[in-house]
Amino acid sequence: MLEKTVRTFTFIVTKDCQLACKYCYLVGKNDKERMSFNTAKAAIDYVLSDSYISSSHGIDFSFIGGEPFLEIELIDRICDYIKSELFWRNHHWFDNYVFSFSTNGINYNSKEVQNFIKKNYTHLSIGITIDGTKLKHDINRVWKDNPNKGSYDDVVKNIPLWLSQYPDEATKVTISSADLPYITESVLHLYSLGIHTVNINVVFEDVWKDGDDNLFENELIKLADAIIEGSYYMDYECSLFSDGIGKPLDPVNDNGNWCGSGHMLSVDAAGNFYPCTRFAAYSLREKKPVIIGNVRAGIDKNKLRPFLTLDRLTQSPQKCINCEVASGCAWCQGENYDAADTNTIYQRSTAICKMHKARVRANNYYWNKLFRKLELEGKREEFELNRPKNQNPIC
Amino acid sequence: MLKYLVILLDDSAVSYCHYESGKERKLISLEALKSAILFAMKENLNVHIVWPDYELPKDYKEIINGIDHINFADASFAHDADILVANPLDWDNIPEKSVVVVKTGIRDFIEKPEVFLPLLKRVARLNILFEDISVFKDEMVTGFSYALDFLTDAIIEQYKKQNKVQVNILTDRLILDQMNNCNAGDESVTLAPDGQFYVCPAFYFGGEKSVGNPNEGVHIKNSQLFRLDHAPICRNCDAYQCNRCVWLNKQQTLEVNTPGHEQCVICHLERNASKRMLDKIREIGEFLPGKEIPDIDYLDPFEKIEK
Ligand code: SF4
Ligand code: SF4
Ligand code: SF4
Repeated sequence: MLEKTVRTFTFIVTKDCQLACKYCYLVGKNDKERMSFNTAKAAIDYVLSDSYISSSHGIDFSFIGGEPFLEIELIDRICDYIKSELFWRNHHWFDNYVFSFSTNGINYNSKEVQNFIKKNYTHLSIGITIDGTKLKHDINRVWKDNPNKGSYDDVVKNIPLWLSQYPDEATKVTISSADLPYITESVLHLYSLGIHTVNINVVFEDVWKDGDDNLFENELIKLADAIIEGSYYMDYECSLFSDGIGKPLDPVNDNGNWCGSGHMLSVDAAGNFYPCTRFAAYSLREKKPVIIGNVRAGIDKNKLRPFLTLDRLTQSPQKCINCEVASGCAWCQGENYDAADTNTIYQRSTAICKMHKARVRANNYYWNKLFRKLELEGKREEFELNRPKNQNPIC
Repeated sequence: MLKYLVILLDDSAVSYCHYESGKERKLISLEALKSAILFAMKENLNVHIVWPDYELPKDYKEIINGIDHINFADASFAHDADILVANPLDWDNIPEKSVVVVKTGIRDFIEKPEVFLPLLKRVARLNILFEDISVFKDEMVTGFSYALDFLTDAIIEQYKKQNKVQVNILTDRLILDQMNNCNAGDESVTLAPDGQFYVCPAFYFGGEKSVGNPNEGVHIKNSQLFRLDHAPICRNCDAYQCNRCVWLNKQQTLEVNTPGHEQCVICHLERNASKRMLDKIREIGEFLPGKEIPDIDYLDPFEKIEK
């Protein structure tokens, strides 16, 4: 069944960031495009008054950048406005909303951010992205004004505070070719910092070199051994291992779209609406942005139709339709669009094909080894009852 | 599979579909025309020639006559063409039993459906083409349906007089059992006066990239998206008379395989009017036994997918 409603509404509050991460897909980052409060207000007024857009049960108001906490004062004002409008409009999202952030964590401990957290504590979801060990993190995540300086130390100092406030929050790690040898030590390092859930995805872009799949598989087997031998599986989670992946998919019952674009509307500083942030100009390498409206004219619902009717089979090449290990093989609609031969969202990029297959092999190894161990120890049932539940978000 | 080749002889050649032709004359080169005809012969394609409103040199006509073809022309210029594009000023001069295309605006159609009455009496087939589908608003549903019913009654009057006139938006759905769309990009391509292939004339005039030429063949990237089985909304639809205009799709939704709301609603109002027509004809006597057009509770199949 098609879900028509918007689940996430993202404010691209700034395109600026203190860092210049080497894998960052935001090709057009800059320090000029900051959202004004009036633009944010107009976007909120539109979203709350459009019954089609705001018909979902609840909503995630998400703030991204660049680095969103660079604009904490603006965000605070926006959130106050949302809360008061939900109240005055007697809106069904009142008390059914969350403000979410994906931050590099650098100014997490600032007075402004901490005041904001205290004010909105129960409605916040904050993910700090840290890539693993200092070595791994600093390969990619360098300061914009000093590309030789990594940002690990500036982030890790804030992890204890973050975990004391949000002990169940996850971190998201993005893997590109150069990171492959560091996966095991990075995951174990994040566990040692007290982070219980580590969500990892390989970049969707066509960057994978010959042999990367073998490297990935071997590294994941190393990680599997470490997690199982160290008994981390009881309390910790790593999204790379999931017993649902690597199976054929049913053409009728498993025909949904993977990616949530179209349900994740975004607005930028110019007041333009996008199906998700990946369709804004600053995220695209090759293609024009896909603008589906603006805060003055509203959303052109015709432009949402392709996103809301996308299914797996229509966009997939035959090899994916026939694939024996298709489940869990993800895609990003924005990357599909950017990489497609024409201006379409209906051509699935399969740049991660060999990496997914490598992951499936290591994943099979992990579960075979883990279940055998649990059975020998008589703990399989206990594990099934208590295993951590990972939502495995990809965007 | 490719079945048809449309050849636009000139930028100013008559427009028979959802696009405007060029204002300036620009005649195709003789060489390009020759290679296109050769291509059509080798690929077994049916050729549609779209004429401008001026006389072409004799050598052009000789080449064109070297292959079986169908002519599209402005009714004010050539009365002997197979398909005439006409406007009310031409009505009186249109030969009996012609096949005629009339382009009209949605509002004009709603306000003055009687304009078509004289044509119903004399033509074999009338194709009404709405040139401004995107201006359709949901408030127009009733007015549009009334206009369709008005024409339906006029068509039935002709049937009573044994004049079996066809009108695309009303009678096609009566006899179709599957989609009969334009299928540009799948079953047809267009050769433009620049000697290049395009998905259809609208893609040429709209500044889209060419998709090959007679020497290199047709190379449409993501060509599967022009097929019905790759159109998630349309493949679940039974408004079989719809053009499923991939050009309008691209304009309205940015995707050739996804129609906008307006195109769908208009075609479902036509479909539903065809159903009412079927019921009315059967009040007179037996007609197309076994044929049924089911009741549906939506005007846009997108809503059906949503449910
Ligand atoms: S990209 Fe490769 S692994 Fe993924 S579904 Fe397609 S064929 Fe299977
Ligand atoms: S796609 Fe078909 S219906 Fe649409 S303008 Fe082109 S020829 Fe006409
Ligand atoms: S009515 Fe809409 S869904 Fe049906 S064929 Fe036409 S464009 Fe497609």
